[in-house]
Amino acid sequence: MDSQAISEIAAKTGGQAFINGRIATITVKPEMLRDACAMVSSIPGLYHLSTITGIDIGEEIELQYHFWKEREFVSVRTMVGKQSPQLRTVSDVLPSAVLYEAEVHDMLGVLFQGNALMGRKLLLPDNYPKDAPPPLRKEANPEEIRRLMGLE
Amino acid sequence: MSEEQDRELRKTGAGLMEYSPEGIMPFGPVHPSLKEPEYFSLLLEGEKIVDVQARIGYVHRGIERAGQDNTWIKNIYLFERVCGICSFAHSIAYSQAVEALSGFVVPKRGRYIRTIIAELERIHSHLLWLGLVGHWTGFDTLFMWIWKDRERVLDLIEAITGNRVHKSYSTLGGVRRDLPDGIAESMKKEMEFIQKRVDYYSELVRTEQTIVVRTRGVGRLSQDAARRLCPVGPLLRSTGISRDVRVEDPYAAYDEIVPEVKTSNEGDIASLLKLRLDEVADSCRMILEAMAKLPEGGYKIAFPRVVPRGDSVFHVEAPRGELFYFVRSAGSIKPSRVKIRTPTMANILAATEMLKGHTLADVPVVLTGMDPCFGCMDRLSVVEAGSGREWMMNGEQLRTFGIEYYSGKG
Repeated sequence: MDSQAISEIAAKTGGQAFINGRIATITVKPEMLRDACAMVSSIPGLYHLSTITGIDIGEEIELQYHFWKEREFVSVRTMVGKQSPQLRTVSDVLPSAVLYEAEVHDMLGVLFQGNALMGRKLLLPDNYPKDAPPPLRKEANPEEIRRLMGLE
Repeated sequence: MSEEQDRELRKTGAGLMEYSPEGIMPFGPVHPSLKEPEYFSLLLEGEKIVDVQARIGYVHRGIERAGQDNTWIKNIYLFERVCGICSFAHSIAYSQAVEALSGFVVPKRGRYIRTIIAELERIHSHLLWLGLVGHWTGFDTLFMWIWKDRERVLDLIEAITGNRVHKSYSTLGGVRRDLPDGIAESMKKEMEFIQKRVDYYSELVRTEQTIVVRTRGVGRLSQDAARRLCPVGPLLRSTGISRDVRVEDPYAAYDEIVPEVKTSNEGDIASLLKLRLDEVADSCRMILEAMAKLPEGGYKIAFPRVVPRGDSVFHVEAPRGELFYFVRSAGSIKPSRVKIRTPTMANILAATEMLKGHTLADVPVVLTGMDPCFGCMDRLSVVEAGSGREWMMNGEQLRTFGIEYYSGKG
């Protein structure tokens, strides 16, 4: 693990670095996420973005961008407020992120400004009820969603 | 379509574009074998594909959400149902993510057995795919031969695990049963048989014009595009990038049974055929090596019901490429979040790139080339650039069109 490069990125983006075995995590503020991802992906060999994980952690939504190289993972982590979660897309610097961001948009309602796929459905059906919360939010109730979609 | 609209259509990025909603089907084809069947809208100029739009999610079943309501052990049986082909890859990716969180180490024999089943699964998945390439190029004899051979691998899997598809064989802490008595002998016999067949098929796909004309130079992906779009598995390796989770980040027994990673610089469907056949031959070798080195001892350990708090990231090399699992535990009997990224999800952008510049007749072969869910192709809408004319073709019509287009060109 190139811990020096990880600490440098954390210092430059005002974030915190934490290394646990083969997984390094850099936690940054949402406005610094794009820069942090660009820096991580420019580490030699670390260009592969495995995916983006979105998690509802109560008041906020946590996002983790997982980069992989050999025996190590680098996760760039940020939190966005749950009320109107939005942040700038990274798909202009990392084209492979376009579908992963759209998936998080579908499942947790995070808006990625500048992503070409915002405002449309990627994984959810087109008739997913507008009143229902996105399905992976804690407040989403599967039975209620099925009822609103006329499936019961 | 006006000229202005037409220009707008061309200014697109990453193969995903904005055009009139008439081109998009509200309900797509459904197939239960993958998490993500795709629906492609193709923008054509004459017969040439100018741009491609992908729409996925038709069989999204909310498995990640359902996983939050199940106990750790029950989730194995849920997650292996994400895919009907590489179900074992899912169950070991999940099991290993959870084992990493708990800090338990699976006994060596258990890890060897996992490797053997994972490689058997790779053989049957690659053979399935090769048969489909035969079908889509109009070489149905190849399809029938290969699927007949594939049955022998499935029988072997059934003899060990009790099932052909959803094996439910891996468990937290190892595998559920030991290998049955006398399996080494039939394994040796079948692997030698498959190896012989693979030699024959390798020669066939290299020389048979039906296959050569339809695959050489078709569906090219450049190395630059591969670095940009991050595809995984054989699709990535066909561009000359040597990346395989089994070698770079070994799991199960891959640190001792080392695969030989092959790459190609062609980046076309013909090179994918060769790469996948080479992988099948290599899997046969690895299975025999693992059987010869199979250690004695236990094959599983007792695993607690509660998993300690923390995050775990794990990936395996499924037949189609890197399969990624993220697991978060809040220290209870259920996971608080499981995130799955299947290989096809990573390969879709590359597939849209591969289609560009080819003709409509190449669509079945290129889409099959990335090894997606095949049922997805059963319906496409075709929009003609300039006139905006739109019509529908089902999979069979498209297949016939491709075969007729190429007849006499070989």
